[in-house]
Amino acid sequence: MHPVTLYVNGEKHELVVEPLRSLLETLRDDLGLTGTKEGCGTGYCGACTVLVGGDPVNACLYLSVDADRKAITTIEGLADENGALHPVQRAFVENTALQCGFCTPGMILSAAAFIADDPEPSESGVRAALAGNLCRCTGYQSIVRAVLDAAKHMRDAGRAGERPGRRALIRARA
Amino acid sequence: MLGAHRERPDALAKVSGATLYTADVALRDALVGMVLRSPHPFARIKRIDTQLAGALPGVLAIAHAGTVPDKRLDFSIKDQQLFPKTYARYAGEPVAAVAAESVTQARAALDAIVVEYEPLEPLLTIEAALGANAPLVHPDWQTYEKSDSRVLRGNICGYNRIRRGDVDAAFAAADAVVESEYRLAPSAPGYIEPRAAAARREPDGGLTVWCGSQSPYGNRDELAAFFDLDPTKVRFINQFVGGAFGGKILMATEWYAAALALQCARPVRVVWSRHEDQLNVFPRHGGFARLKSGAKADGTLLGMRASFFFNTGAYIGYGSGTALIATMLASAPYRIPNLDLEATLVYTNAQVAGPVRAPGGPQANFVKESHLDELARKLDIDPLEFRLKNAWVDGDVSPSGQKLTSVSVKETLRRAAAAIGWGKDLGTDRGRGLAATWWFSSCGGSKARVAALENGRVRVASGNPEVGTGSAAAALPIIVADVLGIDPSRIDMELADTATGTYDSGVGGSGSTFSAGQAVEAAAVRVRQKLLERAEQMLEARAEDLVLEGGRAFVRGTDGPGISLERLVQSAGGEVSEAGEAPELGDPEIDESLVETHEFAAWLAPSFTATAAQVEVDRETGRVSVEKIATAQDVGFAINPTGVVGQIEGGATQALGYALTEELKFDERGLVNANFKDYLLPTAVDAPSIEAIIVQSPSEEGPHGMKGAGEPPVTTPAAAIANAVRDAVGTAPNEIPMTPERVWQALQSAQRHSAGKRSRSTATP
Repeated sequence: MHPVTLYVNGEKHELVVEPLRSLLETLRDDLGLTGTKEGCGTGYCGACTVLVGGDPVNACLYLSVDADRKAITTIEGLADENGALHPVQRAFVENTALQCGFCTPGMILSAAAFIADDPEPSESGVRAALAGNLCRCTGYQSIVRAVLDAAKHMRDAGRAGERPGRRALIRARA
Repeated sequence: MLGAHRERPDALAKVSGATLYTADVALRDALVGMVLRSPHPFARIKRIDTQLAGALPGVLAIAHAGTVPDKRLDFSIKDQQLFPKTYARYAGEPVAAVAAESVTQARAALDAIVVEYEPLEPLLTIEAALGANAPLVHPDWQTYEKSDSRVLRGNICGYNRIRRGDVDAAFAAADAVVESEYRLAPSAPGYIEPRAAAARREPDGGLTVWCGSQSPYGNRDELAAFFDLDPTKVRFINQFVGGAFGGKILMATEWYAAALALQCARPVRVVWSRHEDQLNVFPRHGGFARLKSGAKADGTLLGMRASFFFNTGAYIGYGSGTALIATMLASAPYRIPNLDLEATLVYTNAQVAGPVRAPGGPQANFVKESHLDELARKLDIDPLEFRLKNAWVDGDVSPSGQKLTSVSVKETLRRAAAAIGWGKDLGTDRGRGLAATWWFSSCGGSKARVAALENGRVRVASGNPEVGTGSAAAALPIIVADVLGIDPSRIDMELADTATGTYDSGVGGSGSTFSAGQAVEAAAVRVRQKLLERAEQMLEARAEDLVLEGGRAFVRGTDGPGISLERLVQSAGGEVSEAGEAPELGDPEIDESLVETHEFAAWLAPSFTATAAQVEVDRETGRVSVEKIATAQDVGFAINPTGVVGQIEGGATQALGYALTEELKFDERGLVNANFKDYLLPTAVDAPSIEAIIVQSPSEEGPHGMKGAGEPPVTTPAAAIANAVRDAVGTAPNEIPMTPERVWQALQSAQRHSAGKRSRSTATP
């Protein structure tokens, strides 16, 4: 058993975990953050995507011990301090870029990290960035449109390049 | 209100991670339920010993054939026990289940269960199962109870036929006759949420089940009957469902959670891993088909013979729909006076095939549209012109003699073709293809309750589950809001819960909005009536002069403030609540003399759909890139066009997987790609540009003229892609999926064939 300190969505959690416990299990079962989904458990569907230090990872393959002292953003922590949705979340609502919603949290976190790196993406760039997140309902077209819309919104709002989950990062540093 | 594009009411919760799916439901003290599976595709179970497992720490319950009622599940052939007693019939079949405090303890218990098997030679293919002296998947099939219309004969567990005219005479009179054979791989529904359920025994002898089902009422009745429970004390609480596509109609995890929970004082949760979910998948049927058709030189179709064989796996389940639908699609939507269409269902030692979104649709349409394209090419007629020449129009009859109205085949074909620039030059190795179909709507029974509340909001209870399509979450609120003159954002949809008593036949057969929509509308109309009665008194006006709009009642033609919905409800003494029910719609008339053992030959409110695809083929590798798919779908009337577009775009992409990559593969040990690593769903990179074209040719039976919308868009794209490949390179695989290897082989054999022809012609003096 290993003691770990996780900074999840800006909250500090001190836990003791089994060496092979995945970050997904810790988030869902120990911290009750069920917004992160398990779709395949082997890193092929991306439904469990969370941000570690601002970068997307498959939480099902990421060990909790490796997340020690790192800032983690889950879908529950993507909105800002005032609860305002991240532009990618808002664009998913406006474009109906979801149906069953099971892939949506992971899809949104992948997209939010991607447009921070590439604030003016092409359509094919968006598709390549989301290739690790499977969606069976939508056919992806509305998702791609939403991500392009969100990127534009962030540029127009002077937020191009802003890392998602800033709240979590700032708190973790403090 | 009706027919406007709008955001989904459940979107905010879904983008925030707040939506709860079955595995997310918090249950105090829940035990972990897990299942032990047969490793053999076919084996005699000689002994099962759970004594050691039961003595392990943390193990609270073990279920197997000996602990559950000794009866068979209530399908059209009673061929299945909950846990098999004497034979395990597919690799992955659950033979026992345990409930324990932790995953580790549950796994240890599974390891400690002793099952002695005598492995038998498995029947892995239809050919093997139908071979002379083939062993039987069900050696005691003759003792099974079955419904009268079900054919059961050894390894054959379904057969139907549609016949009209004289096909042999038609072939003799034809200028061109084509014969083809096609093979179809089984595939998975591919929902991203693996199946999950939890169950808890209640002090009153009842059982509560948390699930993500397409059919919670049907499942409840089936489960209560099996375990001899009072159905009114069994409660199925449906959660949001992470995709279903026909794969969550039959129970799976629900059975095992219930079997274990009935032995425990604590709730039991069963959540499949992806591997387990794929082992327990209800696949889209694989199989093969042989077709022969003839036409006159001008393209007029004269006759078709089609024979389908479908591999339905180890048990019948809900597998019979595929064979019934296949014969209804084999010649449609084209006028062919002479038909002989048959379909046979065959048992094998494979997973139990099921009603995956549009059962039989993608299969029959790939086969039929590929075959007719071959015939058009032989006659040197443009595929669009060929289809338009033979397409049904108003007044034509279906294969079973049903008179057709509101027929839009030509419009859907023309609009889909136009959307991809039909007829314009594309350059080498690129091509276009078409496919058309018809489909049905379903009205399987639905009840609802609509309640206007003192706070101005409206609560709607329907038994129709929300599986992702938005039928329950988006379309039903729009219908209620339209009746009550309020914005849909003021409506709170309750999730399906059998405790409400609002029965619904479930998600299936493109029937959710069609049937549940009529139930909520009927209830809303009664609520409206009640509210207007209040307004009559308060405004001292006659009901016919009153309008309910913008959240208030007022006298028509006045700008007075009127009375708000809140005050109307308050003045009625609180909540105004009314029930409603979908009407029972009779089956359309057919000519019974044309059909044989066919239980699904009358199609309610038929819809029409066409898809055009544009592809590029890499001759070196055989890889097909789908550049564009355009689907024109006649939905009668689009109550929720945002939802219809979603069905078309999602259906096109599922069909892309069906066409090119998705294949459940088997060897002598059973299913080998029970995962998402080797079973390839399309990604965002694979998915093409999709154009959704909504055609609205109203039905007589549907609410506001609608026709069912969920299934048709998955049925045509694979066929259109195949025909586009043929247009691009002159040949296409006769096998689904059209993997690069199969495309490459088709190219090689076409090359050999044409080289052979050339050498022969040069040798001729």
